[in-house]
Amino acid sequence: MSLEGWTPQLGPYLTLEEVVEHAFDYRGNVTVVSTDGTETVGYLFNRDAGAPEPFVEMFDEAGQGPIRIRLADIATITFTGKDTAAGNSWTAWLERKDRERAEKAAASGA
Amino acid sequence: MSVPLSQMVTVASYIVRQKLARRQRYPLVLMLEPLFRCNLSCAGCGKIQYPAQILKKHLTVEQCVNAVEECGAPIVAIPGGEPLMHPEIDRLVAALVAKRKYVYLCTNGLLLAERLALFTPSRYLSFSVHVDGLRDEHDDAVCREGVYDRAVGAIREALARGFRVTTNTTLFDGTSPVRMRAFFDEMMSLGVEGMMLSPGYSYSKAPDQEHFLRRTKTHALFARMLDRPKRRWKFNQSPLFLRFLMGKHDFDCTPWGMPTYNMFGWQRPCYLLQEGYAATFRELMETTEWQRYGHRSGNEKCQDCMVHSGFEATAVNHTFGSLRGFLETVVVTLTHRL
Ligand code: SF4
Repeated sequence: MSLEGWTPQLGPYLTLEEVVEHAFDYRGNVTVVSTDGTETVGYLFNRDAGAPEPFVEMFDEAGQGPIRIRLADIATITFTGKDTAAGNSWTAWLERKDRERAEKAAASGA
Repeated sequence: MSVPLSQMVTVASYIVRQKLARRQRYPLVLMLEPLFRCNLSCAGCGKIQYPAQILKKHLTVEQCVNAVEECGAPIVAIPGGEPLMHPEIDRLVAALVAKRKYVYLCTNGLLLAERLALFTPSRYLSFSVHVDGLRDEHDDAVCREGVYDRAVGAIREALARGFRVTTNTTLFDGTSPVRMRAFFDEMMSLGVEGMMLSPGYSYSKAPDQEHFLRRTKTHALFARMLDRPKRRWKFNQSPLFLRFLMGKHDFDCTPWGMPTYNMFGWQRPCYLLQEGYAATFRELMETTEWQRYGHRSGNEKCQDCMVHSGFEATAVNHTFGSLRGFLETVVVTLTHRL
């Protein structure tokens, strides 16, 4: 299931650290909302919860970076960008190919 | 084995130097990913699913050269993405050749013929063309028709111009050993220097998760495919790695043997898993919890993995780390029996 469009509800059942892990695994842009209300949109490619000052790292929408944001400064993260890993399976490709072959065969037989 | 003697000597002396220095962990091959964009979109690939701004970016030549120096491995493989789409790939390759690094430029072959004029043949440069089997199998694997023919045309052209050319093949579930043996014949008839084989790995982000080989299936496939190998088949990799794939060795992974550098930094722990990035090679080596990876670690993600980037270094170390391993390699090489 894709997380595209997800706005996590942080609380006792979902911590910011867990959302950061999801964002790290996500192959699309996310929006990092800081505690001061500023938003950074981009690809979150790294995080370190074990660092003396835990952080995430991003390239913004223009590809600028790496931008480092302290975990302590993050209010939440939303999954605003398209999930680039979703869809496009090999099975779908094989099905399309089979369909095309069948259509070709039907056309040449007609 | 089809690796040129000079390359073998370079690698062997490098390993001996590491052993004499009592270095526990050292890299053999740097996997340098200068970009992620590609002119194909294969269902089995987990490397190109990124937002547009990431796909547009690439490492500079200077960043790449610095990474090569930091790492110190004698061999540099340049995968991607499609490295021939890098605007300065010729300058990058020339810089690495000048440093006497053995460079394997991995390509799907689509741009190879038209870009050959950018390069000069050298014993330090080899084009490693991605071909996953005979025409039907390859075009299915890369999800586009006509790619096999383009790749084969490019191989011919590169060989005619005096370049070293190898092939690299990823094998998926459902591969026919008989068809693969025919594929080996075909590649050797083209005149390639050698072939590299690896089972695919189920990238958690690859859109297609169903076709990757599991360990027992891998053993069965490779045992049948490489049974009584023909003398003319040449493999550009350790024979002990091939024996491992056939189920004749119980190696564990050496994830630091082929470290990966890309625009995100030094990838932990290996070419396949992306569990975070270190800013420097030293940080990667010193702060990665290596004991969490490999078959014996119990890590779920490593259980079915038998890929070249994790296990070839183990095989090479086995050759140079024990008399038994060395003798086994010599016997296999001389008798051509895997
Ligand atoms: S076993 Fe495979 S996935 Fe695990 S660390 Fe080694 S190469 Fe990576």
